[in-house]
Amino acid sequence: MADPIFIAMAVVTVGSAIFALEAKEIIYGAIGLAGSLFGVATLFFLLDAPYVAVFQISVYIGAVAVLILFTVMLVRQENWAKEVKARSLTRVAGILTGLAVVFALVFAVIATNLSQFSSITNSATFVNIGQLISTGDSPILEVLALVLAASVIGALTLSRVDREDAGR
Amino acid sequence: MSKPITTFEDFVKRIIIVVFWVALVSVVVLLPIYYLLDAEFHFPVDFIHLAINPNLIIAYQLNLLATEPFRTLFALTVFPGFTFVAVYGTIFMGWVERKLTAKIQLRTGPMYAGRLEGILQNIADFFKLAFKEIVIPNGVDTATFVAIPFALMAVAGALVALVPLSPTTYIADPSVGAVLVFAILGFTPVIVLLAGWASNSKYPFLGGLRALHQLVAYEIPLILSLVGTVVLAGSLNLMNIVQAQSGLWYLFLQPLGAIVFFIGALAELERIPFDIPEADSELVAGWQTEYTSMLFGTFQLANFSRMYILAGLFTTFFLGGWLGPAPVPPEAWFILKVTIVMIFMMLPRSIMPRLRIDMLLRAGWVKLLALSFANIFLTMVIVSLGLVH
Repeated sequence: MADPIFIAMAVVTVGSAIFALEAKEIIYGAIGLAGSLFGVATLFFLLDAPYVAVFQISVYIGAVAVLILFTVMLVRQENWAKEVKARSLTRVAGILTGLAVVFALVFAVIATNLSQFSSITNSATFVNIGQLISTGDSPILEVLALVLAASVIGALTLSRVDREDAGR
Repeated sequence: MSKPITTFEDFVKRIIIVVFWVALVSVVVLLPIYYLLDAEFHFPVDFIHLAINPNLIIAYQLNLLATEPFRTLFALTVFPGFTFVAVYGTIFMGWVERKLTAKIQLRTGPMYAGRLEGILQNIADFFKLAFKEIVIPNGVDTATFVAIPFALMAVAGALVALVPLSPTTYIADPSVGAVLVFAILGFTPVIVLLAGWASNSKYPFLGGLRALHQLVAYEIPLILSLVGTVVLAGSLNLMNIVQAQSGLWYLFLQPLGAIVFFIGALAELERIPFDIPEADSELVAGWQTEYTSMLFGTFQLANFSRMYILAGLFTTFFLGGWLGPAPVPPEAWFILKVTIVMIFMMLPRSIMPRLRIDMLLRAGWVKLLALSFANIFLTMVIVSLGLVH
């Protein structure tokens, strides 16, 4: 049963990624991105990693996709994607770069020992994850929290400057 | 679509489109058929057996409903699933809301349809909506415009599948249910914002922006208010959370969390006093303004389904779900509790004025967030002192 679902969700992921790139309307691009991220989340479900899947959905669709849509609607301009006649040299260079990236990724995946992975022996529960976060890996979490706090303070300062000359 | 193919690029594009549609149709149509054929189901042989021996039909059907794909399909479409939510959650509770609001305001409400206090009025309204013309205004983005009500309904359906009615009556039982519910609820702001944009009209767009602000502001306290119950139960599975309340309901251990969750649920449902996105005196009907006939009916269905789901989640997290004295079946206890919670959700509609958007955002980001953090802190203190297991 898992194989047809995997194929289906792979089609959805790649299809909406192509749709996001090819769409003339930027809002359709945003919708396609959300669909692609959702497809990735379902792939995590199939890989028996429900926590990653759930947080993929709530962060990338609940927050990132909403932010992108919101920004797009606020700064909307007509004909944002003008037809640019690319020169043939640029086009060839682009295709070569794309192929290089694809080959690099494929070789990186082959070089790992993922293919010898037969079954998951100790599946992680959220109690395990919580213990890891609060004991061994806590410095990483604290650094991330500090970075986030700094960026929140920075955003608040920036918006405060705007607010002052508008008056109350 | 009938543009002639002139360049190689067009040709490749056309092939990609065809491949994409073939893949999509095979995923949507062929996959369920494969799923059904994979089951223990020998159609012609069984059919001949039953034709010879007709008194086995009921036993055969019950047996079929107990095997796996049919159990899920039945649960999804009939009992805890779509039909039940449409009949009980939308038609019956919609009638309860109309009667309740009318009685509080000293009116009579629906009186004639169905003789008994107009109990069939909502079915009549359903047929009225179903037979109306679907008007699609000029300049709307038709594909998105038509897809929005169904997307909202799909979100509601996915949520219905996660709320368990009893240990035996459930649709899906994922190990991360408590988080998954909010991950799926997180789709709503995207859909509502798109509904406002696709309508190509100023009132829906303003309503969509307001709804986005409101939903994002109230989702976070809603999630954080449940951290306390999850810590006490030691599980993210909704069934385990209910089982953990067999001694004492979490309403008494987590009163602060329950209050925050209830207010957050009201705001999440856009009900009065939080109905700012569809404030009818300012924005006509907010992001639903341009929708007519059955598209609007689908919105109503989705809204009432979401109300049923959030009431069901309140019951699951704070009122002990299906737990209750024995002779009454657990499903009946669950439905009784959900009905009471839904009536409490309907009461503010007739006794409270609408908030302003800045009051609402301040209440969400400052007060409710602080209250939910205080609740988490209190729970930590209680657990670390060893007062609760």
